[in-house]
Amino acid sequence: MIDFIQNCIDGVMIGSGYALLAIGFTIVFGVLRRLNLAYGPSIMLGAFVGTLLYVQFQAQILTVAIATVIGAVVVGMYVERLCFWAIRRGAAIASMVSSFAIWMQLEEVAAIILPERTYPFPALTEMAPLEIGPFFLRSEPLVMFVVAVALMAVVHTVLYRTRFGLAVRAVSENPSAARFMGIHIDAVMFWAFALVSAIGGVAGFLILATDQQVTPYFGLWVTFKGLIAMMLGGMGSLPGAILGGLVLGVVETQSLWYLGADYRDLSAYFLLFLILIVRPGGIMGQALPEQERAADRRV
Amino acid sequence: MLTIDNVVTSYGMIKALKGVSLTAASGKVTCLLGPNGAGKTTLMFTIAGILKTQTGTITLDDTDLTRYSPVKIVEHGISLVPENRLVFPMMTVRENLETGAYLRVGKDRKAIADDLERMFARFPRLGERSDQPAGTLSGGEQQMLAIGRALMARPRILLMDEPSLGLAPLSVEEIFRIVEELNQAGVTIFLVEQNARMALRVADHFYLLEQGRVTFSGSPGALEEEEVIQRAYLGTRRE
Amino acid sequence: MDDYVVSVLSNIGMISFLALSAYLLLLTGEISFGQQAFFAIGAYLSAIATAMWGWPLWSALLLAAAAAAAAATVIGILTLRLRGLYFSIATLAFAEMVRLLFVIFHYQVVIDGEPVGPDGAEGFRDIRWVFENNVSAAEYMVIIYVVLFIVVALFFRLERSRLGSIFRMLGEDTLLAEMQGLNVIRFKVLASGIAGFIAGIGGAFYAHFTTYLEPQIFNVMLGVHGLLYGLIGGLGTALGPLIGVGLDIGFLEAIRAIQGYRMIVFGGLVAVLLIFMPRGILDEERVHWIRMTWRRWRNAAR
Repeated sequence: MIDFIQNCIDGVMIGSGYALLAIGFTIVFGVLRRLNLAYGPSIMLGAFVGTLLYVQFQAQILTVAIATVIGAVVVGMYVERLCFWAIRRGAAIASMVSSFAIWMQLEEVAAIILPERTYPFPALTEMAPLEIGPFFLRSEPLVMFVVAVALMAVVHTVLYRTRFGLAVRAVSENPSAARFMGIHIDAVMFWAFALVSAIGGVAGFLILATDQQVTPYFGLWVTFKGLIAMMLGGMGSLPGAILGGLVLGVVETQSLWYLGADYRDLSAYFLLFLILIVRPGGIMGQALPEQERAADRRV
Repeated sequence: MLTIDNVVTSYGMIKALKGVSLTAASGKVTCLLGPNGAGKTTLMFTIAGILKTQTGTITLDDTDLTRYSPVKIVEHGISLVPENRLVFPMMTVRENLETGAYLRVGKDRKAIADDLERMFARFPRLGERSDQPAGTLSGGEQQMLAIGRALMARPRILLMDEPSLGLAPLSVEEIFRIVEELNQAGVTIFLVEQNARMALRVADHFYLLEQGRVTFSGSPGALEEEEVIQRAYLGTRRE
Repeated sequence: MDDYVVSVLSNIGMISFLALSAYLLLLTGEISFGQQAFFAIGAYLSAIATAMWGWPLWSALLLAAAAAAAAATVIGILTLRLRGLYFSIATLAFAEMVRLLFVIFHYQVVIDGEPVGPDGAEGFRDIRWVFENNVSAAEYMVIIYVVLFIVVALFFRLERSRLGSIFRMLGEDTLLAEMQGLNVIRFKVLASGIAGFIAGIGGAFYAHFTTYLEPQIFNVMLGVHGLLYGLIGGLGTALGPLIGVGLDIGFLEAIRAIQGYRMIVFGGLVAVLLIFMPRGILDEERVHWIRMTWRRWRNAAR
């Protein structure tokens, strides 16, 4: 029982990182009605900038964090202009495919600038683990959890208490009506993308600083975790993204403990497949979402 | 106030508007009637800047708005209540109204707050439901919300695209009563409708749009009401 | 013929099966990120049959393709309710599940004192049927292309047939198709099965070409490549995906100058292409235009 709870605690902490990634996918999906498959690699390139500074210039952890975020945002801008803005009037498929093509492109760029298998990343913290009764809270995931929660609060504030957030939600719910209000759709999409890239940069940084290393597989990994978490919780729902991330974290940790490393990812995918077959709307969504119409509607 | 001169708008190779000219006078209610497919919504979209006219001009008082983007059109005081209302379903009634004031947010916080209160006073049902998601409102209430939302921009002229569409008869009556009240309070209204009977009751001046062209211009009563209604629904019979 | 050229052409041929598999589903309006799973099943099962059970290539191929088709049919049934992105993610999840299952899949028999068979992540070596039966690289390539030709010819027949129109109708508007009284379920599942079969054939050829399999090969990248080929080559005709494959593996491979940068160039090319041709090079409109022009030219020549 203790193991189970310990795993839940660990899972929730790791899951908070996944939740941030899922939030990124969700906001882009909400505002642009499309999936950005280049999200993972953009974050990875940002992380590579960070690790470059760390290795070459012995940069401080805060500098690495800022570099990661800025890198992720810059690459995100590239993706937005090329894959989404330029294909605005076309079918949603084209954007998604384009973002995948750019994913391939970015992966290769990453492999070229940093050809080694793995690069060091600064540790999030040097503190010893916390002990609460029979449970251990490792300090890096704990810091990640705290920062992630804080960031989620920030995102919530931006979306629900600022003019920009109002515009983002308006465009997500009905782009035509938003235009009639004088909202500049292109600008909103651009800045929403920038916000999402920044969130991704922070999430990526937190995750890597917990692992203390970055590998060329990170891009793919991020994409999967973010997608799975988003779909588990319910595509298009922000609370769903958070819940999905936490659930994914817990499921992974439990299966790692009870079934072993080989089964960890398998369980995650199995869970995703199961949810999609049984309840595609995800945990928070409706049983059979109509929202999918929006997914294949030509914008 | 709003002058439309020889506007031609096309969808690809199909001309939806073939040279439309009309005027919406300040302080009056001007109606454009016509059957489905005549081009009413196309005209609204052209005025709102979503579609571009190939020739012709759109002028608001002395400003030529023809090439303006939708954002600038709203900035210049034209607000549209779109067909089918298009409220933001997951936002609350209050938030929907706030989006109407989007271009004013941050500049006149107090004025916007006052306007919100005034809106709730004018539409008490919206006040009752101010924190409910707009998607849960009835058709008539959503129409009120859409009108209120457009008014929050403090427009010089209010465009309404088929306000009676999809509403129960009692709600339709209510909406047109609101149109009259708004006009009496000084709002200039340009209204596009298929429901000729109701529209003629509130109009100071009306036009008939058939197949992309204005075929009649006059005051209510200038044509037999029956004839107007027939042409508004079916278009003129070709002999 | 130069060994290298034969190798590249063989690659194009095999991957074309994967591309055609994804293409068929695209016609019915579904984006599948998971056809690589059936490619994998085809590869592994045919290899097991020839290397471990002593079957000849032909029967192994058929068995593998049939198994892939069966699996695809099951998945098709399970995902019936899903449309659009939900379907796509489900196929992605399934394909990764298959890949990870192969990672934990161990099955070996001892042949001539050596263990032979899939050994999880360690891979599956010595799939040597082609060499043991003295089939040269060039001959193998010809075999691949003969089968490919048959498949493409069948696709062309499909285009002109009622079934083909039904598939395209599903792609255009499923609701409309249902209203026409079509049993959408049956056709969607049929499409899934056929697509699985085609991918299975490709996988079987692949296994015997490379003689070595490991789960990592059948990752998402492979599947999405297959998808990409159809989407950039165009969905108007079965030649579309082949153009896509040729463009990537053939054309870009040929440009030595961009060795090592192939993905960067290809990715960028695709992104730019999609801005101007969102439905691919040979999309329905262009194919229609080509057919009309061809017909007019033929009539004028009479």
